[in-house]
Amino acid sequence: MDDISQASHLSVVVDLSPMHWDLSAREAPENTYPLSLASFLSQLLAFLNTHIACRHENTLAVFGAFPGKSIMLYSSSDPVSPSAEMHANAYPPFQAVDSAVVQRITAELDALELRDDEEEAPSALVGALAKALCYVNRITLPPSANSKAQANGFHPGVLPDPRILILSVSPDLATSYIPIMNSIFSAQKLKATIDVCQIYGPNTVFLQQAAHLTGGSYILLERRDALLQYLIMSFLPPPSIRRTLSVPTQEQVDFRAACFCHKNIVDIGFVCSVCLSIFCQPLAVCTTCRTKFPIKTLQRLNAARPLLATATATGNANGRPRVQSGAVLGANGGVGGAVANGAR
Amino acid sequence: MPRRDAEYMEVDSDSDISIGDGTGRKGKGKEKAGDKRKKDKGKGKATEAAYTWEASYTRSWDTVQEDEAGSLQGAVEDWMARGRRRRLLAPAAPVRRTIIRHLVLLLDLSTSMLDRDMRPTRFDLTLQYAREFIVEWFDQNPLGQIGVVGMRAGIGERIGEMSGNPQDVLKAIADRHKLEPVGEPSLQNSIELARSSMNHLPTHSSREILIIFGSLTTCDPGNIHDTLDACVTNKIRISVVALAAEMKICRELCDKTAGQFGVAMNEGHFKDLLFELIPPPAQKALSRAAGAGATNPAADLMMMGFPTRLPDASPPSLCVCHSELRSEGFLCPRCLAKVCDVPTDCDVCDLMIVSSPHLARSYHHLFPVKPYTAVMSIADASVSIGCHGCARVFPTVALTGASEGLSPVGRYRCPECLGEFCSDCDVFVHDVTHVCPGCGK
Repeated sequence: MDDISQASHLSVVVDLSPMHWDLSAREAPENTYPLSLASFLSQLLAFLNTHIACRHENTLAVFGAFPGKSIMLYSSSDPVSPSAEMHANAYPPFQAVDSAVVQRITAELDALELRDDEEEAPSALVGALAKALCYVNRITLPPSANSKAQANGFHPGVLPDPRILILSVSPDLATSYIPIMNSIFSAQKLKATIDVCQIYGPNTVFLQQAAHLTGGSYILLERRDALLQYLIMSFLPPPSIRRTLSVPTQEQVDFRAACFCHKNIVDIGFVCSVCLSIFCQPLAVCTTCRTKFPIKTLQRLNAARPLLATATATGNANGRPRVQSGAVLGANGGVGGAVANGAR
Repeated sequence: MPRRDAEYMEVDSDSDISIGDGTGRKGKGKEKAGDKRKKDKGKGKATEAAYTWEASYTRSWDTVQEDEAGSLQGAVEDWMARGRRRRLLAPAAPVRRTIIRHLVLLLDLSTSMLDRDMRPTRFDLTLQYAREFIVEWFDQNPLGQIGVVGMRAGIGERIGEMSGNPQDVLKAIADRHKLEPVGEPSLQNSIELARSSMNHLPTHSSREILIIFGSLTTCDPGNIHDTLDACVTNKIRISVVALAAEMKICRELCDKTAGQFGVAMNEGHFKDLLFELIPPPAQKALSRAAGAGATNPAADLMMMGFPTRLPDASPPSLCVCHSELRSEGFLCPRCLAKVCDVPTDCDVCDLMIVSSPHLARSYHHLFPVKPYTAVMSIADASVSIGCHGCARVFPTVALTGASEGLSPVGRYRCPECLGEFCSDCDVFVHDVTHVCPGCGK
């Protein structure tokens, strides 16, 4: 029972890529359940308010991942400048969160439109995640002498099990593989849980791994009109209570990695034994550590390679139809194929 | 001559013993000799005076000094500055290290381990340190595997199989009643056992034996030098941490196999010796010595598969490794066979299956975050009022008397994205996350 009564910290990382939100808002033929940014924001704000309302000591931080830029939208430890008009009927903490989040998002999105790039930069989800980790690190550190001077007497207590909730709409960005993995390991060190809600688009391999490795839950939103219900039922309770609530668990965890050479997401890769760099094709020299590999190995691996090319080409779609690639593999009958044929 | 003297004085004032340097300015030669002797003596004392039985103790609280206001901030900042400087001075040239390691931990379980010269007993202390060692070792060598072998009653006893899971290894040495020391140790028997368990390993992985040896004797059935030669040909590194005294054969084992040998003087030194063996050993730079054209025989390109993990709630099916019905497991990406645990070789198609997070744990060594530069003055600082990482508000006045490497305005700037960070985030980014929040890489 102690778990329920304890205050907790929640950092929310919101993916605000305009392009994907536009895709997500399109009507029936493309999306069964369209979800626009405006309706998403209203549901998100309701969720944030619920978290604050759960317990007075609960702390909250919201980070936005914009194309090529990440900013902190709100944090409960930094005083927000009081907005001009306060509604008499609104609970002040709710209004502080709502106005801060909406104002900053609008300001950032307006700035984006002014710039009017030809190609939209991928959203800086990793930067936002790293900021969330820095913030968690800041509040988990006991208040030091430095902060005492300027924090106006507000000391966020050291809260147990901090959580980071990632609301993502973008697909995997292969260039961010290494930073995401690094973030996962630091979240493990901070004992922070990473929850992931993939609101739009296919499963993301890396965020799946993030949730799996930090003990969080990963949910691919199917009924997107029921977003708030998903948020409140699965991401509001801290991980300690979720076992009792039987929150939806992850179906399969995909441990694929991104190769260093072409940033492809691969399920069979070639790994340098010296630096463990992953490549999608056999190379004569490791591009990371400049190790030369024996020619014999290259020949052996090249012989097995055509099978892999087809396997990865067909196997990277949403549902991972690997059985299909297996059929190609069997028909091909190369070095590795002979073994695989025997197996079937 | 006077110049040299001045230099010398400077050096001397650095060392902790500074007696009588103002007295004899005239007798330069004499003073120099005298000082040197004192200094040597001081150094010798620092290393010698630490035997357990001499019952000296270190007062760690003395090294932290309060400032006039009774605050420890100065000491903490000093310590941080040292960390910063160490990072900046870290060698830029890459060192090649073995990443895939295989280690057999050889524990002496003979009666001599019951000696109480290390508290509570050598045996208990060894077990405790071994646990800490294993945890730390797996943290730094995520792809490594450890097996445990015990030496007691004249034979080598397999305590834990080679495993890449720290929990398995810890479980093997968890029960101290099963490891109760008995009889004489046998170096040869247990090294042979360890060697045979590493015979099958591929060439690009390292083979190591770490012996924690408390005895002064070994009781062998044959010539131990044959075993030693076999280890040399099998390229097995043997390192020994002795708890009693140096034995010729132990020293020889280490020297001939390029391992490390050390005799623990006290509990702290024992731990230091043990933990020195945790960082992956630097590989000999074969290619550099033989010119750039030579290929390193230890380097190889390996084909690896990254599996899919099946959830605990999936319908049970037979695994290929044990032929048992299980629901959880991993699917080989090439042949879709189900194996129980990774990393392993697929039993069906022989593909090496690893979980990619294991590999990724080492990547921050390959792509480190560039060190941040300290912003030295308010005028130099950017307009941002808060840290780019954690949004903590920066101080508006410059601190006076900040030491080298520390920013007086508490700002550290990333050379890539020009974001400014507080000192806490600077340390956190470089030591823990290895991701710059500004650049996102």
